[in-house]
Amino acid sequence: MSLLEVNGLTVGIERSPEALLRDVDFTVEAGEVMGLVGESGSGKTMASLAIMGLLPVGIEQREGTIRLGGQNLVDDSTGTVKRTASEMTMIFQDPRSALNPTMRVGHQIGRVLQINRKMKRGEARTLAVEMLSRVGIAGAAQVARAYPHQLSGGMCQRVMIGMALACKPQILIADEPTTALDVTIQAQIFDLINDLVDETGCGVLFITHDLGAVAEMCDRVTVLYGGQVMEAGGLRDIFTRPRHPYTRFLFDAVDREVDPNVSEKDANFALKGCRFGHRCPQAFAACSEIPPLTEVEPGHFSACFLHEMEARVGSA
Amino acid sequence: MALLEVREVRKTFGHGGAEVPAVRGVNLEIDHGETLGLVGESGCGKTTLGRVIVGLEEATAGEIAFDGEVLDGKLSRPEYRRLVQMVFQHPAQSLNRRMRIATTLAEPLRLLPTATSSEVAAKVNEALRLVGLGPDYLGRKPRQLSGGQQQRVAIARALMPNPELVVLDEPTSSLDQSVRGRIIALLRSIQRDRNVAYLFISHDLSTVRRIADRVAVMYLGRVVETATCQEIFENPQHPYTQALLSAVPSLDLDNRRERIILEGETPSPATLPVGCSFQNRCPLVHDRCRREQPSLVAIGDTHSVECFAVTDGTPS
Repeated sequence: MSLLEVNGLTVGIERSPEALLRDVDFTVEAGEVMGLVGESGSGKTMASLAIMGLLPVGIEQREGTIRLGGQNLVDDSTGTVKRTASEMTMIFQDPRSALNPTMRVGHQIGRVLQINRKMKRGEARTLAVEMLSRVGIAGAAQVARAYPHQLSGGMCQRVMIGMALACKPQILIADEPTTALDVTIQAQIFDLINDLVDETGCGVLFITHDLGAVAEMCDRVTVLYGGQVMEAGGLRDIFTRPRHPYTRFLFDAVDREVDPNVSEKDANFALKGCRFGHRCPQAFAACSEIPPLTEVEPGHFSACFLHEMEARVGSA
Repeated sequence: MALLEVREVRKTFGHGGAEVPAVRGVNLEIDHGETLGLVGESGCGKTTLGRVIVGLEEATAGEIAFDGEVLDGKLSRPEYRRLVQMVFQHPAQSLNRRMRIATTLAEPLRLLPTATSSEVAAKVNEALRLVGLGPDYLGRKPRQLSGGQQQRVAIARALMPNPELVVLDEPTSSLDQSVRGRIIALLRSIQRDRNVAYLFISHDLSTVRRIADRVAVMYLGRVVETATCQEIFENPQHPYTQALLSAVPSLDLDNRRERIILEGETPSPATLPVGCSFQNRCPLVHDRCRREQPSLVAIGDTHSVECFAVTDGTPS
């Protein structure tokens, strides 16, 4: 049993047939970092919001189960989501806008502890300062009295991580945690997250568009495009033997010469078949259907009709 | 003779007690048809320097020479405006959303004493073709274009008056990885066609590596190292450059570099220490660095470094 299990997650806009996430499956184990990779609009943030029960108004979860430690997080009788910060916490892309600008950061962490861990005020305040020094902030007692605008982006992200970890979550969702930061600060934050995983054994769902960050941080990878899982597997499987045309396309974009005059098309959520079908150089008639996620080697899955063809050619 | 020479340029914002030096004495040269990559983290002054070169900001001190002629307060003259153009980070914000693409592209020519309307129309068509967009885009408005297409239009607009230098300020940072690769390839093919020089400003080192001939690394308003692209990436000398490069996540799973994690954060430009501005994070710091400001010293034909420990050795 996996720590976090997402099964057949389908999310769409109310009163619209199009699905923003289509039948998305993935798992996160304790003590591992699972990377959710995709370009903008691929649905990676939508998936994390669905898990947190934070889907915006007008967006509904249509199907699928989200289980944490085997327990369904959606209450079937009421349809509401039951989860608390002690189980899952999330850190966001832009730490400054995620923090309350009118509250001192120590107080913000303290409030989380008071509410979620039912701590007394004094106790919470002491632990808040302790959390700040744990995430590598020098002079934590002083920083605890600062407002977010007085801190740098890197410091704010540390505060966010401190706040997330104060609750001792089983799952940490990190949504592009370093995109707004410089690379030298990014390296510090990566180290911090890695240390915390080793220390607390929590599972991390690491959302990013940066393949370099994935190579650096993740144990397993799930590639999303147009709200559909394209490929999933171990880090080495995906990086050394990418099977899906979209994954290959992503890697080509990073390190190979590309034709500058191929036009860019956005993901088309109206497509009935494979969501990458209209951009795929290898698309054929079958791609107007939804390709199933098939196991191409142990622990390595890819959703493409080409694999079926290859298998047939191979066995013939 | 170099196309552009920047000599001891300074730019200070604010005055009286609240002076913030953004650029603190920079020397640079760009040759005809060459790409100089200007890299550094946020707040290092790279954008300000770019804006000074284009004439959007006035330098506090120092001089800028174009083709050997010192432009003393002549940055706003039409003939210089024609020769130096700029592309900004966010195309959606730098294109006029009320103008159709054809009008946007024709505007730079209307402002210059040139061409009849039929010549303008021909040039607009040609520029659009150059950036890989068809004539059917002429009647569209920016919101009908994807981010990558908008940036193509912004590049076409910059090329309209036939510039000799284009300052590209983070032109690919707001774009997806797959689109980024195409824009880089496009810029290179335009450079081959037109022999235009680029000042490519970016914090993204892997992108710079794909386009630059030479690279200048900035830290807190000063260029700390400059060399050919290959030399910077394969043989960086300044401790900041080394840390910066080691912090870039790499896709290569088998040759993991040892990451150099810099302690602390970049000090605020408003409260700079005496001596070298990198002293509080530098692994090679010694007494002299806390007393004197080092200057750029040549250590090879094309390689210069601003560091006492590299150029004079560390005192034992």
